[in-house]
Amino acid sequence: MQSQDKYRIALLSAYAVAIHSFESLLPSPVPWLRLGIANIITLATLVLYGFRAAMMVTLIRVTLSSLFIGTFLGPGFVMSFGGGVSSTAAMGIIYSIFPRLFGPIGLSLIGALFHNIAQLFLAYILFVQKIEPILIVSPILILLGTLTGVINGFIGGLLIKNIPKKSP
Amino acid sequence: MSSPKISRAGREITKGATTADKILLIALIIISVSGFIFIKKAFPEGTDVKIEVNGKPAYLLPLNVDKTVSVKGINGDTIVEIKDRKVRINESPCPNKICMHDGWIQQGALICLPNRVIVTVTGNKDRDNRKIDAISG
Repeated sequence: MQSQDKYRIALLSAYAVAIHSFESLLPSPVPWLRLGIANIITLATLVLYGFRAAMMVTLIRVTLSSLFIGTFLGPGFVMSFGGGVSSTAAMGIIYSIFPRLFGPIGLSLIGALFHNIAQLFLAYILFVQKIEPILIVSPILILLGTLTGVINGFIGGLLIKNIPKKSP
Repeated sequence: MSSPKISRAGREITKGATTADKILLIALIIISVSGFIFIKKAFPEGTDVKIEVNGKPAYLLPLNVDKTVSVKGINGDTIVEIKDRKVRINESPCPNKICMHDGWIQQGALICLPNRVIVTVTGNKDRDNRKIDAISG
């Protein structure tokens, strides 16, 4: 890995950690419902610098933010780790197979969907162990994720358009 | 020129979206809304209130008898109130209070994840299936 790549990843991770930590301070009406603004950084990193950089930024974001918030290795960390990794993986796979099919909004929607699926799955395995409550909350979570996904995708698209590819 | 701000924003968003983006968005909305309706139908109006703590059944109460019980969760007491064939979580020690904001329900479930309390309204059908429920945990 080149030193410039490292510099980019460090910078983007710093943005993502700051956004993620700030977001965790916002009061949320529903547990698990987070705006996922940090996903904007993941999305922009994926499109501008590729899958490896995006996954790196996600891993750094999830780990460092949980240390800052104080949820490291707790249930919140497991949920956020699983959601972050699977949403980045889903976006990365779709983007590398069909680079032109989806724009930033579509990618963000895929990311939000897989984030929710992973979290529902983890919640089922780790906490609830009953399928009914998971089935009841999943359509609501997927709908809310779709709405926030569109907004994040739109902002991510603006970011991608306005960051010149050559800049650090 | 005289178009309102919202439609301008809407146009701005659709301009950056590909056809696949739009199809995906519409599909997700349809799936989640129909899933919401389908799941509401799959959990018919019940006759019993089942309260579980940490995955273990704690109470089984009839829905037609008004009663208030205090359930000991892992973080403190959750107060569950049954009144007029409806049930709600009246007080909970969890930080988000989402279970309390759900209000009165007649079907489905109230879930307080932080306190590990699950209140489910179950019907007669569930009573027959209890053996299967026990196996799946």
